[in-house]
Amino acid sequence: MRFRRYALLLGVLLTSLFLLTVQTRGGGPTRAADLLALALNPVQSVLAKIHRGALGTWHTFTDWRTIRGENAVLRADNERLRIQSLQVHETDQENRRLRRLLALRDRLPLTTLTGEIIGREGGGWARSLTINRGRADGIALQMPAIVPEGLVGRVAQVRPGASVVQLLNDPTSTVGAVVQRTRTAGLVEGEPSGGLRFKFMARDGAGVTAGDLIVTSGVGTLFPKGIPVGRVTAIEDKGSALFHFAVVAPAVDFARVEEILLLTGQSTQDVAGLFIPGG
Amino acid sequence: MAFGGSLAQSSVVPSWSIGGVTPDLPLILTALVALRRGPETGCLVGFASGLFQDAASGGLLGVQALSRALAGFAMGLLPGRLWVGHPLVQIPGLMLLTIAEGFVRFGLLQLFHYPARLSELFVHVILPQSLYNGFVGAACVLAFEAAQTLRRRQSWT
Repeated sequence: MRFRRYALLLGVLLTSLFLLTVQTRGGGPTRAADLLALALNPVQSVLAKIHRGALGTWHTFTDWRTIRGENAVLRADNERLRIQSLQVHETDQENRRLRRLLALRDRLPLTTLTGEIIGREGGGWARSLTINRGRADGIALQMPAIVPEGLVGRVAQVRPGASVVQLLNDPTSTVGAVVQRTRTAGLVEGEPSGGLRFKFMARDGAGVTAGDLIVTSGVGTLFPKGIPVGRVTAIEDKGSALFHFAVVAPAVDFARVEEILLLTGQSTQDVAGLFIPGG
Repeated sequence: MAFGGSLAQSSVVPSWSIGGVTPDLPLILTALVALRRGPETGCLVGFASGLFQDAASGGLLGVQALSRALAGFAMGLLPGRLWVGHPLVQIPGLMLLTIAEGFVRFGLLQLFHYPARLSELFVHVILPQSLYNGFVGAACVLAFEAAQTLRRRQSWT
């Protein structure tokens, strides 16, 4: 056992020394060195290839790891920039809306108060908006609420720090209105379906056609005269009935209202010309 | 194992370089194998890994083969003479082996008129590498012990 062990060591040492000798002996290549090279070159070549392959794989792995890290950073940056972009877009939109509201306020011959929407009620039973203006701001019941496109509704409840605005399309809402072109008088009523209808007397209805603009009549002291309410989209012919109905598309997209103007003063002037079509 | 260690030495290990010093993975494997399998296996693994290293590095074939064969053989003889089962003995032993192998290699290269001085080699190459080998060897020993513990637990269940 011991002899075998040292014989192995001796063999290995002699092999190594033989290899070293044949590589360095005599200055020129010998037959033994050639033979050794012949045997080892393919091994070296294979080793070099494997080495290169392993090195390549390792570099690919390290590159992949680096790229993955960079990718995560870039994704986070992208996400942050996207959020910033959305915030900028949102601020820009708000800025536009407020500028239009401000321009309308400057045009109107009425005292007004701006309000921001803080809640919505959109079920079929009632349709309303809650705004951040209440009793302390001087808000009173029945005050009209408008936006640059037209009439939104009226204040139905006043609370200490907030108020509820009943929308035009609330089923219990009724507003005195006229067809701007024909001056046909009637009532704009909200419908459970969320739409509006214009109820007018048959004898006055001649000439009301789709596309006609309905504005507030100004009868009474509630709404100033001439605030756009909506446009007639169809006439429901009831034959010989006393009242006829027109289907009206609201001038205001109630779902998109973010800020409103509350009319705190009164005016007998027709304000229809102060509302620019499309806001 | 010798082949894998040599391959790792020339591919993965260079990226572990600290101040230009890299651990000598084939030598660490040779030492650990020799401690567990005896001088014959240690000698053969050392010879094979050294030969691969010589071939891969483009140096004189046989220098590392010889020095590592001697290192593997010597390390394989220790278990019968010293208490080398504990990692606290194995790690300093590995560091000393690295230094001894460095001296042997330097001695062999002197036969072929190697130009560098031993003092410079010792300060800049052999000693830092022995320290690095000690750290990597400790990690290898711990990993080996953990694997053995796991295997023992699995065999009980």
